[in-house]
Formats: sequence, structure tokens, C-alpha cells
Amino acid sequence: MTSLSEEVLLVVKKVRQKKQDGTLYLMAERIAWGPEGKDRFTVSHLYADIRCQKISPDGKAKVQLQLVLHTGESTTFHFANESTALKDREAAKELLQQLLPKFKKKANKELEEKNRMLQEDPVLFQLYKDLVVSQVISAEEFWANRSGGINNTDPSPYNNKQEVGISGAFLADIRPQTDGCNGLRYNLTADIIESIFRTYPAVKQKYSENVPHNLTEKEFWTRFFQSHYFHRDRINTGTQDIFSECAKQDEKGLKTLVTQGVKNPLVDLQSLEDKTLDEGYGICTTQPSTSNANKSVKDSSNSAIIKRFNHHSAMVLAAGSRRGELASDQASETSSTDGNSRDSDFFQPPVKKVKLQEAIEFEDLQRENRPKTVPLNLKKSDRYAHGPVPLQSQQYTTSQDIINSVNYIRHEMASYKPSLTQVLSSTAATSAIAALSPGGVLMQGGAQQAINQMVPTEVQGELKHLYVAAGELLRHFWSCFPVNTLFLEEKVIKMKSNLERFQMTKLHPFKEKIQRQYLSTNVSF
Amino acid sequence: MLELKRTLDAKGHGVLEMPSGTGKTISLLSLIVAYQRAFPLEVTKLIYCSRTVPEIEKVVEELRKLMEFYTKETGESNNFLALALSSRKNLCIHPEVSSLRFGKEVDGKCHSLTASYVRAQHHSNPNLPVCRFYEEFDSVGRQVPLPAGIYNLDDLKAFGRRKGWCPYYLARYSILHANIVVYSYHYLLDPKIADLVSKELAKKSVVVFDEAHNIDNVCIDSMSVNITRRTLDRCQTNVDTLQNTIHKIKETDAAKLREEYRRLVEGLKEANVARETDIYLANPVLPDEILQEAVPGSIRTAEHFVGFMRRFLEYLKSRLRVQHVVQESAPQFLKDIFEKVCIDRKPLRFCAERLQSLLRTLEIADIADFSAVTLISNFATLVSTYSQGFTIIIEPFEDRTPTIANPVLHFSCMDPSIAIKPVFQRFQSVVITSGTLSPLDIYPRILDFRPVTMASFTMTLARTCLCPLIVGRGNDQVALSSKFETREDFAVIRNYGNLLLEMSAIVPDGIVAFFTSYVYMENIVASWYEQGILENIQRNKLIFIETQDAAETSMALEKYQEACENGRGAILLSVARGKVSEGIDFVHHYGRAVIMFGVPYVYTQSRILKARLEYLRDQFQIRENDFLTFDAMRHAAQCVGRAIRGKTDYGLMIFADKRYARADKRGKLPRWIQEHINDGSLNLTVDEAVQLSKHFLRQMAQPFRQEDQLGLSLLTLEQLESEEMLQKITQIAHQT
Repeated sequence: MTSLSEEVLLVVKKVRQKKQDGTLYLMAERIAWGPEGKDRFTVSHLYADIRCQKISPDGKAKVQLQLVLHTGESTTFHFANESTALKDREAAKELLQQLLPKFKKKANKELEEKNRMLQEDPVLFQLYKDLVVSQVISAEEFWANRSGGINNTDPSPYNNKQEVGISGAFLADIRPQTDGCNGLRYNLTADIIESIFRTYPAVKQKYSENVPHNLTEKEFWTRFFQSHYFHRDRINTGTQDIFSECAKQDEKGLKTLVTQGVKNPLVDLQSLEDKTLDEGYGICTTQPSTSNANKSVKDSSNSAIIKRFNHHSAMVLAAGSRRGELASDQASETSSTDGNSRDSDFFQPPVKKVKLQEAIEFEDLQRENRPKTVPLNLKKSDRYAHGPVPLQSQQYTTSQDIINSVNYIRHEMASYKPSLTQVLSSTAATSAIAALSPGGVLMQGGAQQAINQMVPTEVQGELKHLYVAAGELLRHFWSCFPVNTLFLEEKVIKMKSNLERFQMTKLHPFKEKIQRQYLSTNVSF
Repeated sequence: MLELKRTLDAKGHGVLEMPSGTGKTISLLSLIVAYQRAFPLEVTKLIYCSRTVPEIEKVVEELRKLMEFYTKETGESNNFLALALSSRKNLCIHPEVSSLRFGKEVDGKCHSLTASYVRAQHHSNPNLPVCRFYEEFDSVGRQVPLPAGIYNLDDLKAFGRRKGWCPYYLARYSILHANIVVYSYHYLLDPKIADLVSKELAKKSVVVFDEAHNIDNVCIDSMSVNITRRTLDRCQTNVDTLQNTIHKIKETDAAKLREEYRRLVEGLKEANVARETDIYLANPVLPDEILQEAVPGSIRTAEHFVGFMRRFLEYLKSRLRVQHVVQESAPQFLKDIFEKVCIDRKPLRFCAERLQSLLRTLEIADIADFSAVTLISNFATLVSTYSQGFTIIIEPFEDRTPTIANPVLHFSCMDPSIAIKPVFQRFQSVVITSGTLSPLDIYPRILDFRPVTMASFTMTLARTCLCPLIVGRGNDQVALSSKFETREDFAVIRNYGNLLLEMSAIVPDGIVAFFTSYVYMENIVASWYEQGILENIQRNKLIFIETQDAAETSMALEKYQEACENGRGAILLSVARGKVSEGIDFVHHYGRAVIMFGVPYVYTQSRILKARLEYLRDQFQIRENDFLTFDAMRHAAQCVGRAIRGKTDYGLMIFADKRYARADKRGKLPRWIQEHINDGSLNLTVDEAVQLSKHFLRQMAQPFRQEDQLGLSLLTLEQLESEEMLQKITQIAHQT
């Protein structure tokens, strides 16, 4: 066995994998399986690599457990011990259930981080493809340099990922199923529990108070579903219900929300009306009296439903917008919003102004104001317009020079007097004309083409990639200097070989290709 | 503009229907302001009345823009003074008073600090609290008029703070010489407030009632009185207090009462002179005839008047002791009261005036305490003044709870023209405008005036940004309707739920659904909950529901907007005729679809409504059914119109009731909605509606740029001046 030092948490015998009998080991950090009779593992997965586990349905003949890895591969174990197969599987499943989440976070974070970085940054992705996939440098090296750099420079843009809100219908998702004998089954998942806690902090508080001292988890949820709290239309009856307090808290929360009033004056119905009629005036629209005596039970249950819907939606909304852990206790939440409400008096006029402006402004009537752009400041605009030109035309003449020379020529021409004694010989003249006509020796530069027109875009793209990749490698290389540790020395050597390899595998083929296709151009790398 | 100009030229009244968001306010403002500048002697003042406080503020902001434009174009700042006026609650800057939440409290507290005798007492006893802002204003504020400019509510407050003046009284004082006044239409229509605030406004004013589709109800509300047993009890204590105060005063300061008596003998001459010289807006509670006479001797002394009130009160109490519903006209009531307790018509008519005078004489600090006796005296005056247009209904119990005695005397006004008549008579031009005034001809009839112009405008659209659909059937071909017989039908409720569910899946952001009444909504929500429809909807969007509590609803509304804002999407279930349907706009993503479940008829069993319908039939020859349909359709249009607030906005309008497909209903919708209803969208099933909306939404989601509108619904200056466009415009104008 390779790692006897590891703590083995569970051993399950008679587990088949790929039609081979063997033993399944669950250890502290990984799960492993070895075929019978051999003392090494043919299958070994770190928990961190496992995305999830799946089990075969209860009714199935084969009792199986499948592990799905982050890479997408999966491994299936078949529990073959007839008598205890189910029990074995349950045991393994339970244990995995406890273990996986612990590792999940750690592993996922890194992996997801890298994944996201690659997805968000196409240049990086290309670089990754160029360097890692083509095995110029290893993935670790790539990331070692990269992640450090990025985390140091600017970690914030990667952290403000949008938080996932809560589905408004999470309670509806727990559809009760009748189990046939006068009972109901509710399926709760970790997600739903999370949602309940985030939406109803009061329940979470109850949960932490009662579980596991007074109730088991199961009992807690059973009571939750039995309580009137869950069934919004039922009227509160018993006081022994532990959730009656939650309902009261909710009521209180709703009240504070209501008394806080609204910040947007345009939706404040109370201050909408300018002058309310005095009491006693007006057509009395028979208002149902507020006393509960003449209200039927149905009516009040109906209005309870309406209240609860408003509250539920508000809570879901609040849970979605609350930052991280703030969701934990309601006390802090209400106090913080209380603070807001006190401030709101000060802030009200600006809010009002903004809202009013919004209300009276029409976008389409505004003068079009284009997005402000930074003007491009070019020293040599012809270079920008034409792109890099072949080497010959390197001797630049400034426009001033040209103007000067034109002036000079014009001047010359004006005062030109043919001195017929010193004319060229006719042969010299023809050769000069030939040289100056298109295609002639002196006219080569005139027909100059910009390189960007001569070279097809894919070649340009490739060149760009190579340039970036070479830059990246060189960065790695130069980051080793000054070489003052052994590690750095090693790295320099490795980077040198990397660079050479890069030259061999990437640059040379490219150069050859270019040479083959564009012999005329003077390519040098 | 053309129609408006015509109205102003003719110095007459007009009714204009213009879809919301097409610049109704700004065109009204700009033309009238231009008119004011061109003919400063013809039109001296613009009184712009709107409905809610935010709307008032919006108008002022638009006006500010207009004035900025003037200064920019002409290069000189014009000396217009424009200001908004609102209740004390919105204008008070007194630290203690303004912290009170309810308008009535603020008014009461303000009164107790600023009443004249309180201030007089303050002179002798400086410990008595007074409002320093009012004192400051009173001593110096009136001398210098408010500098020209545009004052919104907040600007007034800021100005008041800077100067240490009370913004409310400053505004009330300044409206007299302001060029433009923007306030709520209660200030003109409610005689109690109008008498205080607006009666001195110049005759050469143009009055605009914006959002006036409900103006008849406002008129009626302001003139109607309800008296319950509680009112009478409170009135009783009021009268007792009055009696005690009179006794006390008699011992200490009898001269004061004598002085009052003398004044009353001289009669209400002062008021009469004022009215004759046409300084004041007429007060319908204070009819002309009584101004000619002195207060009758029987109630001239304070004790006699209190005794008189006591008798009247006892009579009302006995009337409330009935066991069955009584309905009678004002003359019948007067006859009865004469027979039973020998109260004549004449003293009754002076009741309100006499009480005011007494309250002033007795130096009652808190008028709010005496609201009950004021109410009764107003009732007395009204019932004895108007023999027509009012009805008295005494109900011993509520219809729904016949066992619990809760007698109410409704003295309800049935003729909205009574309250608005002085406005039409006094001001040279009154313009009634709203997004939904169809059918136009009914307003002049019920408000009893003769308009110079009546016009309904539509929107010129570069793209059809509204999509009215009439869903008449469910997928199972069950006819959808909210009519009484099928109200409890599960199939209908289920299909309604289905419609909402399907819509919630395809419409982005916000959906607003309106029900015909609160009870109906409660029932439907409950049965949707039982059927699990709501849970399914929750998968798509969050659900918020209007409740009867305004504060709770405000919170729900804010959360609803938040949910629309952050992309989660939400549904607001609301009630037609409710506060939400009246005052809240759902612009852009706040309302991508409006669903109107059912036709929002009023509760027709109410006796008051029945009486009104009868009155309408007898007096104005408006058939009951016509009026009911008109009323229902204007509310439906109001509801669906909430979603479209401009050309760049877009939204679905779903009328979920098969009755909408009928010509008599459809024809009563505003023109700008009607012209987009084609035969293909008349009696759809839920599925068909979903298909059409999907198509519509996909089209609308395409980017909509300014260039797309140019030349169609948006004109550059050159285009506007071009011959071709002018022709087109006149052509459109002729069509209307």
C-alpha cells in the first residue's frame, strides 16, 4: 500500500469497479479502490477532485455509487455484497456526504478562480493554450506566476461577483408528496434550507436555538412544515408552536418596514393626496369596519395570505440584496435599516429631485450627447494609417522637407534655362526614364504596400499570439533575475530551455512557413 | 395648441383629451405662458390644478424648464412668479409641527400657534408658544413681494428657512399676485378650502384641471356629508363646550358677545359687498340670498344659537334611530324638521356662518376639535339651501352586517356642477384635460357647462408601442368575465390565474394587474393560493399585493419597483379605483404589461349610487347604463394607461373580460387606445394572447433610436418649419 500513514475512515469490501472485485477505502483526503489481491490502488481520487456523488435509485437491482469528477470523468462503484450492499452503500454515501463539502470549497475555489480567469480573459486563454496545452511550460508554473501577479495587483474586480439571489418560489419547490399512508413527504435540499434561512432569519435563529439540543434536525423541519407559519392561510391557534414566535417577529419586522415609510416620494401613497377630505365629508364608500368581530374567518385568512405574500416577497428581495453574512441575524438588519430611515429625512430632497427629473425628462428630446472619447494622439499619423511598412522606406522625409523641396524644384523650374551644351546623352536619358517609370529600379518604393495588406489576417493573428507568448515567456525568464537563490537558478535554466523549446516548436515552424509563402519579404525573428 | 388657443381667444372653456406622456403639461404651460406674455392684460394668471403632490411638483419642474428655455432663447430673465401651493403638512418648517405625520394634526397644531387671539394673548404672556416663522412673516413678509422665479414646494421651504418666514402663509399670500399657481384641485373645488385660499384670485385667470377624469367625483365628495352616531356624540360635547365657554365669557367679558350681536345685526354686508364687486370666488355653501339679509333674530344671541343647535342635534339623533332605510329629498327633510321641532328653513341657512362667527368670538383655540359641530352646521346650511341635487339617505345598518346597528345619515350631493359652477362662472377660461376623458361629451353634460372646444388627440408614433389585447376566453374556451354571475366560478378564476402565469413567464420586469374590487381580489388571491397558481407564478416573478393600508401598500410598491429595478421582475396585484390606480405611474420597466381582470363597474347596489343614477337620468338625460359603462371604462383606461407614459415607453394592455370586445365598451375607450385595437385582437384565448404578446415584446425590445423617430414623431426645427410638415399637421388637426 502506498500510503499506510493515511487514516482510513471506512473500508468496504466486495465493491466492483469495471467488473473487477475489490475493496473501497475512504481515507481522510481521498477515496481509493484496489482490486482484490493486489496491494495498490488502481483508482484513487482526492475528495477535492470530486464534484458530486450519485447513487442508483432504491429499487434498482444493482446497488451503485457514482463519483463525478470536476474533469467530467466519472467512476462507478458497484456494491456487490448481496446481503449488505445497501447498507454498505449508505455508509459510504453518508461518509462522503460529510467529507465532500469540506474539500469542495477549497478545491472549487481555486479551480473556479482559474477557470473564471481564463474565461474572462481571452488573451490569457490563448496564452494558456499556447504555453500549457502545447506543453511549453507546465500548468503549475503558468499559474504560479500568474495568480500571484493578479492577486497582488488587483483582486477586487474578481471578487465582486454577483451574488445569486433566492428563487421566489423556493417554498413551492418543496412540493409535498403523499407517501400513500396518510402522510406527507417533503423533500428538502441543502439549497432550500439555505434559502429558508436567508429569507427568514427568524427560522434560522430558532434552528440554532433548538437544534440539536431540543430537537433533531428532522423533528425541527417536521414541526416547521406542520406549523401555521408555513401554511400561511391558517390562523394561529396553538401557542406551544415554536414558530409562533417567528410569526410574531415577522409581523414586527413588517411593521417596522411599514413605519419606516418609503424613500421614494413618488410612491408614497400617504403623502400623495394633497388635501384629504375632513372626516364626515365625502361619499362614504362603505368601508369594512376594522373590528374583527364582523369579519369572517375566511376574510381574515385571505388578508393574512396577502400580507404574507408581501412579506415573503420583500424578504426574498432583501435576502437577495443583502451582503453575505449580514443575512444572519435580523436584529442587525433592522437596526441598519433603521439608521437609513433616520437619514432619509436628510436625503429626501435629492432623491425627490432626481425622481422628479426622471419623471419629466424625455430621452428622445435631449440633445444627443455622444459618449465622450479620448482623442487619439498620434505623432506620426501616416504610420498609423498604413501600418508598418517594409524596411526600405525607412528614410523618412518630413512634410516640411517635402514642401521645401517642392518649393525648391518650383523655383528651379521657374529659373530654368536649358544649357544645351551640358545635356545628357540620349542613352543616359532613356535609362533614367526607364528607371523612373513604374516598375523601374527607382520606383520600387513608390509601389509600396503596407504589410497589413500583404499578409493575410490569420498569419497576422498567429504572429500576434506568438508575440504575446514570447513576451510571457520572457517575462517569466526575466523575473528570475537577479539570480540569488538556488531555486531561481534552476528556474532560469528551465526557462532558458523553455525559451529554446518555444523557439523550436513555435517560432521556427512559423518562420519557415512565412519564408515559404512570402519569399520576397525580408523576415527576421 | 390650436384648440387651446381657440379656447383662450374665445375666453371660453375647453375639454381636451391627450394621451399621457405626450407633453400635455408642457404644451399647456408653454401656450398659456406665451399668451400671458403676449396679452398681459387679457390673461393675468394661470391656475394649474393637478391631483397629487408629486404631480404638482412635476408641473412646477416642467415650468422651470420652460422658463430656463425662455431665458436661454431670449437672453433675458422674465419676471414671472410661479409657485406651488400645498397643505401645511408639505410646507411647514416649524421643527415640532412638521414632525407630525398626519395632515390634520399639522393643521390643528399650526392653528393653535398662529390663531389671531393666541398671538394676542402672546403679547400679554410671552410664555405662550407661537410660531416664530409666522410671526416673522406677519411682521415683514407681506411688505415685499416674493421675488420673481419658480418656486416648488422645496424651494418655498428653503426660501422660508432663509428668511425665517412661514412658507405656507407666504405661498398663500403670494398666490394673489403670482402669474402661475399650481395646486391641488381641492383648493378650487372644495368650498371649505376654496373659501380660505382661492376666493380672491383674479377673474382673468385661466384654470387648467389636469388629470381631470375624476373631477365629478371630487366635486361630489366635497359637497357630501355623512353623519354617524359618533359624529352626533362629538357634536354634543362640542355644543356643551360652547355653552360653557359662553357662560364663562358672559361673566368676564360680556362686551364681546354684545359686539358680536351688533355685527350680526348688520348682517353679512361685508361679504355681500365683496361678492358684488366681484372680488371673491362664490362659495356654494354661502348662497347669494343670505348675504342680503341679516342673521335671523332667533339665532342671533349666542345662547339662542347654542339652544338652536341642541334642538337640531336632538332631531338628527331621533332620525338616526330608524329601523329601516329612509330616502328623502331636501324639501321633505325640511318639512319634517319643521313639523317635529319647529325649525324654520331660514335660520338653518345661516347655521354655518353663525357658527363661524361664534367660534371666532369665543376664541376657540383648536378648530379641529370642533369639526363635528362645523360639519353639522354645514349640513344644515346645505340642506336648507339646495332643494335639488342632493338626497338624504338614512341607513340603520350596513348592508353586509344587518345585525349590527350602525346608523348613518348620508347627505349626498348628486350634482357635481354645484361645486364647480362658481369656477366656471368666475374664471374666463377653464380647461379640463386628462389622458382619459372619453367619451368627451359626457363631461360637459354632468358638469353642466358649455365648452368652446372639445378634442381628443392621439399619439403620433414611430412604432406602435402599445398593444391592447382583449382576452375573452381561456384556453378551454370558458368565457372570461368578472360579471356577477360567474364571479365565484372556479373555471374563470383558474383561467385568470393561467393568464397571469403565462404572462409572468414572457413579460420582462414588471406586470401590474388590476382587479375590479378589493373583495374580488382577496377572493381570487385566496383561491389562486389554494390551487397553487401563485406558487407557480412565484417561480417567474415576485408577487406584491395592494392592501387597504396605505403605508403597507407604499412599502409593497417600493419593493415592487426595487424588484423591477434589479432585474428579478415582479407582479403587483392592485385594485381599480384604488390609490395605486389613481396616483402611481408605471413607467418603462415598472410596467411592461397591465392586465385588467374584469370590467371595473362600481358597486351598483349602493343606494347613493342609485340615487345619483336616477338624478342623472332625470336631470341630464343620461341613461343609467351609459353612465355606469362610462364610469367603468374611464377607470379601466386609467388603469391600463398607467403603463404608457410616453413614446419611448412600451407596454401590453390586456383586457381580460369578454365584455370589452363589445362595441359599446370598446367605443368608450380613449381614442389613442382604441385605434390600436384591431379586429384580430378582439376575442383572444389566453394562448393567442401570449403569442401576440411574445411577438410584440420581441419587436419592442429592439433598440429604439432617436433617428427612428425623426420626421415621424420627432421633428427637428427645419422639419417643423417645412411646408410639407405643416400641411401634414393641419391635416391631422382637421381629422380631430
